[in-house]
Amino acid sequence: MICQRCKNNASVHLTQRVGESRQELHLCLACAQKAGLAVPENPPDLALDAVVQSLIVAHVGELVGELADLSCPDCGIKYMEFRAGGRLGCPQDYRVFSRGLLPVLQRVHGATRHVGKSARQRPGAINRLRLRSQLREAILHENYEEAARIRDELRLKDTNA
Amino acid sequence: MTLDDLTRTSGEWLRGTGPESDIVMCSRIRLARNLADFPFTNRGSRTEKSEIEAHFRSAITSAHLDLVYLDVNLLSPLDRQFLVERQIISRELSGSEGPRGVAISPQENAAIMVNEEDHLRIQYMLSGFRLHEVWDAINTLDDQLEENMAFAFNPALGYLTACPTNVGTGIRVGVMLHLPGLVQTKQIDKVFRALQKINLAVRGLYGEGSQAFGDFYQISYQHTLGKSEQELIRMLTDVVPQVLQYERQARQTLVTERRQHLHDQVSRAYGVLKTAQTISSEETMLLLSSVRMGINLGLIDDLSIATVNELFIQTQPAFLQKLRGSELGVEERNVARASYLRSRLANGRMATGD
Repeated sequence: MICQRCKNNASVHLTQRVGESRQELHLCLACAQKAGLAVPENPPDLALDAVVQSLIVAHVGELVGELADLSCPDCGIKYMEFRAGGRLGCPQDYRVFSRGLLPVLQRVHGATRHVGKSARQRPGAINRLRLRSQLREAILHENYEEAARIRDELRLKDTNA
Repeated sequence: MTLDDLTRTSGEWLRGTGPESDIVMCSRIRLARNLADFPFTNRGSRTEKSEIEAHFRSAITSAHLDLVYLDVNLLSPLDRQFLVERQIISRELSGSEGPRGVAISPQENAAIMVNEEDHLRIQYMLSGFRLHEVWDAINTLDDQLEENMAFAFNPALGYLTACPTNVGTGIRVGVMLHLPGLVQTKQIDKVFRALQKINLAVRGLYGEGSQAFGDFYQISYQHTLGKSEQELIRMLTDVVPQVLQYERQARQTLVTERRQHLHDQVSRAYGVLKTAQTISSEETMLLLSSVRMGINLGLIDDLSIATVNELFIQTQPAFLQKLRGSELGVEERNVARASYLRSRLANGRMATGD
């Protein structure tokens, strides 16, 4: 279809009601912009952070009461912090917050189950994640003896990993 | 290899070789990986981030990988900007703080960022349209790293990432396309809208949120959950050829309907780049884009695509300042840019060094 104002191809198609009749308008991008129609020049940026946040709010809104008090025992992040920032705190959060996350994953990816490459299973890793969170806690409370004990344990597990 | 050595070479992905390289500048895949026994970067302590860095460095040594590690914390702001311009690190890694770095392979095909949004962001690039080769290379690299690192993974959700938008394969498959024909024939928006309908994202040369410049656009697939790596690659190998066909048709239209105008535009662009005494970055990109298309349409025959590809990167601010060995203001950079362009285009020499 050709633009009604010049000879370029029309890419903006508008139907408007004028009184009783309908009026069709076919313009090329340049003429549409000249006519003051709002046409995006560049594709809108995909601001993923904003997208994720709005999805969290839109899709798990009704669960918020239940999720509000939830926090991860390993990294300490609260569900509400994830909701505000869009970033999780540690790998365990996917399990801890699964009720709040699955609707978001469904919306973002159109799926909730992984297909594709698999990593090797390393059963000791979760243990070490927990030890590290205990270590942080011990240092926070200036319990240095406990911290030293945990560090030794971690070192031992690292060499056996 | 030091950073100053990099000013004398250019990445393999700029060579302009490989299939469809008149339009496809390069094929790129990145993988997001995290260590299972650490909190994600945004919750990690300084000590933990240092440990992750140390783990990674010992893993690349154990696997005998030919990678050079750069500690981003020790780099000057100029050097960081230089790595961003070369597509080796992200602006996020450059601008964040704490222990972090990047490992680079000799030809800059592989770059692994440490302590970015995820513990590891593995990237692999090849010039031209070669996604299968890129996948084979990055898959092997991922396996080699995994020998000595425990990646966060669960069978139901795949590789676990700091942001839920990357969970699953953790992959982003993309190509960087030069589309001056579609821009000039004003069809580019139509193509973008069609791509967005099938969940392909379109971005500028420097990634998320950056404006397309020099008519370069990155097209990549957004979803990471529910489709295998091979399926995602196939999606792009199915769709990209159609975009290439549109671009070729657009160029053909320009050649048949506006030949004289096109030839004039290309020749003027080349002339200005060869003779200007001061030139802005924006104008350079615009003109280089015309020249690049001119070479591909046979309107310029004494200049290689590789040189033009390099010039897109080597006329950026940080590169010029590294070359001069000092910080330059905007005006000084415009003079330095013009001088560099004159010297590179006068003898039309090929990429230096390998």
